[in-house]
Amino acid sequence: MSGSAPAGPPVPGVPMRGVEAAERRLGWKLVAPALAVILLIALFPLGWTAWESLHLHDLRMPWRGRPFVGLGNYAQIAGDARFWFALLHTTFFTIASIALELVLGLFLALAMNRAFRGRGLVRAAVLVPWAIPTVVSALLWRFLFDAQAGIANAVLVSVGVLDHPLVWFVHAWSAWIPVILADVWKTTPFVALLLLAGLQNIDASLYEAAAVDGADAWWQLRRITLPLLKPALLVVLIFRTLDAFRVFDLIYVLTGGGPGTSTEPLALYTFTALLQNLEFGYGSALSIVVFAITFGLALFYLKVLNVDLTGDVR
Amino acid sequence: MRARGLAAILLIPLAAACGGREAGGPIVTTFPGSAVGVEAQVLQRQAADFMRLNPDIRIEFQRVPDDATQRHQLYVQRLNARAKDPDILQLDVVWTPEFAAAGWILPLDRLGADTTAFFPATVQANTWGGRLYAVPWFVDVGMLYWRTDLMDSPPATLDGLVERARAAMDRPEGPPRGIVWQGARYEGLVTTFIEILGGFGGRIMTPDGQVVVDSPAGVRALTFLVDEIRRWKVAPVDVLTWHEEETRFAFQNGTSAFMRNWPYAYPLMNGPDSKVAGRFSVAPMPAAPGGHPSAALGGSQLAVNAHSDHPEAAWRVIEYLTSPERMLERARAAGQFPTRPALYDDPRLAADLPIPPDRARAIIAAAVPRPVTPIWTQLSEILQIHLHRALVGQSTPEDALRDAARQMNRTIRETGVDELQRRAAAAR
Repeated sequence: MSGSAPAGPPVPGVPMRGVEAAERRLGWKLVAPALAVILLIALFPLGWTAWESLHLHDLRMPWRGRPFVGLGNYAQIAGDARFWFALLHTTFFTIASIALELVLGLFLALAMNRAFRGRGLVRAAVLVPWAIPTVVSALLWRFLFDAQAGIANAVLVSVGVLDHPLVWFVHAWSAWIPVILADVWKTTPFVALLLLAGLQNIDASLYEAAAVDGADAWWQLRRITLPLLKPALLVVLIFRTLDAFRVFDLIYVLTGGGPGTSTEPLALYTFTALLQNLEFGYGSALSIVVFAITFGLALFYLKVLNVDLTGDVR
Repeated sequence: MRARGLAAILLIPLAAACGGREAGGPIVTTFPGSAVGVEAQVLQRQAADFMRLNPDIRIEFQRVPDDATQRHQLYVQRLNARAKDPDILQLDVVWTPEFAAAGWILPLDRLGADTTAFFPATVQANTWGGRLYAVPWFVDVGMLYWRTDLMDSPPATLDGLVERARAAMDRPEGPPRGIVWQGARYEGLVTTFIEILGGFGGRIMTPDGQVVVDSPAGVRALTFLVDEIRRWKVAPVDVLTWHEEETRFAFQNGTSAFMRNWPYAYPLMNGPDSKVAGRFSVAPMPAAPGGHPSAALGGSQLAVNAHSDHPEAAWRVIEYLTSPERMLERARAAGQFPTRPALYDDPRLAADLPIPPDRARAIIAAAVPRPVTPIWTQLSEILQIHLHRALVGQSTPEDALRDAARQMNRTIRETGVDELQRRAAAAR
């Protein structure tokens, strides 16, 4: 670049437009490498998958070739009961786990926000479940809920909640319990830390003023903490929704989608179609649907709820 | 790892060369085998012997996953890309028609395979469009394990099985469970089901490719399995999450009177950590009146990659590995059952197999292959889901099997596999 126009206020005598245009060109050149990388690693595979999804392509059946079928795969998805149940399971899992995580996370964040001895230690300890790889924690929870040797049955039988050990993974309702508990156990720390950061941005003088005016703790929580915590809550919500909607490894290890297919989420169904059954066309169409839904959710949060991902209050 | 400019077969980086590489011949035949345990040892020894006898052929091994699903995925991806290696493929019994229909493996008739020396069921499972595509290498069959200290003889009928299971549980100090089988949602559940189905005189598909699993016999078979759990309570509901090993642990710890499992469990349960060592035996799964005792057929086959540069060499290796003497060696080292019935008269086999040869031959003679169709994995997945739904009580056996049959028939129609089968038979 010319280097004649330093950034900052317009230089007198130089036409405004020329400087701005030069600045803009410089800007594009500077971000060009990053844009190229994004194109290469994000948009290209996405475009390829979209193109693949318009074909009938089953690796195990080469005699069918790879004919272009237009939106045929999507029409098949629309009539695929297993897909709609997977969508239902995913939605249920997302809502149930996030609701619990928000409540527990807020409670934990409020507790950690207090000044007490050993606070640093507690904050570090809370992160332990988050630090454990999902597959490992899923195995852990599967052992906890094992029908014969699991501690869940041992405890519930000894306190009289259950008459006899329950085989958790053969009923749809009971198979969801370890699944959701495991996700809540693992992810609540993440929620709590994000909310804690939000809490610490709230000006303490607001609470002092409220206390002087005679407001009790409940009133302070409702009228000061929660409204000012909204940006942080929304950030948590968007991250957790997108994560929960793509849940895969946890359920893959814990239930494998069973009994029948009654805990199978979208990502697991997609995996089965694409990588296990090697139905590249249909599996790609499923991937595109999952992508469209999560992308739509992200847009919804960003535009409708006006979430600012930098965490600033608007 | 290139063959010194002589043969042009590439090895994947993980390839583990076996002994005798220095022999240096003009042809290298890659061969994927299990990389672990006694199976790998006996295979490497046999490969070394082969190379000593055939200095013009060198065998090199590739490492492939032991897990059947992963190995299947790897094969399909490589063969789709027309990879020339491995020259020899080790196939699960239900893969042969799939690979044959895809044109990924060579028909062996032109290479001179003689089928009369093998168990008919193993030949049937490896035949597509009237031609043999893989040579049965060793055979696996489902069998009924029973406790010799709890009863005098194995049951002769399925009703007798339930009665004896109940009687064993009612004994003072009797086991808490009557029978255990593989009931989790996976291929093992289909093998469990297919034995009871045969016992009631039913089958999954007709030879011309129609799904008839929802026949009255099919409903009776699935109802029998449901009743074992819910009505007669001889099978624990836990089996609906169990694979082979969980059932073995239950039986081995003395907590069940019967078990449905493969032969691999036999030597393990006579081991030092078994509570039933010396107190169990095996029999064919019994049948109901009107049916016949049936054993699910499993096992390994060897086939030649259709894109191999050296099909003749590959065939010679297969011929060697599946010869009677090599099968006896395998039985001795790994306890695996030969696919040649004549060998069961050989006195050497009696000492090597965990099970008396005549009893083993009777069970294998009752073996039924799963439907021989290129889309078995898809059909099986549908069947697994609906069988599991009925077993966990999400639907009735009638509804489950009707839905399964409808979906399976639709898949057969949509994939055009029935047309393909007709064409393959006509081309012959």
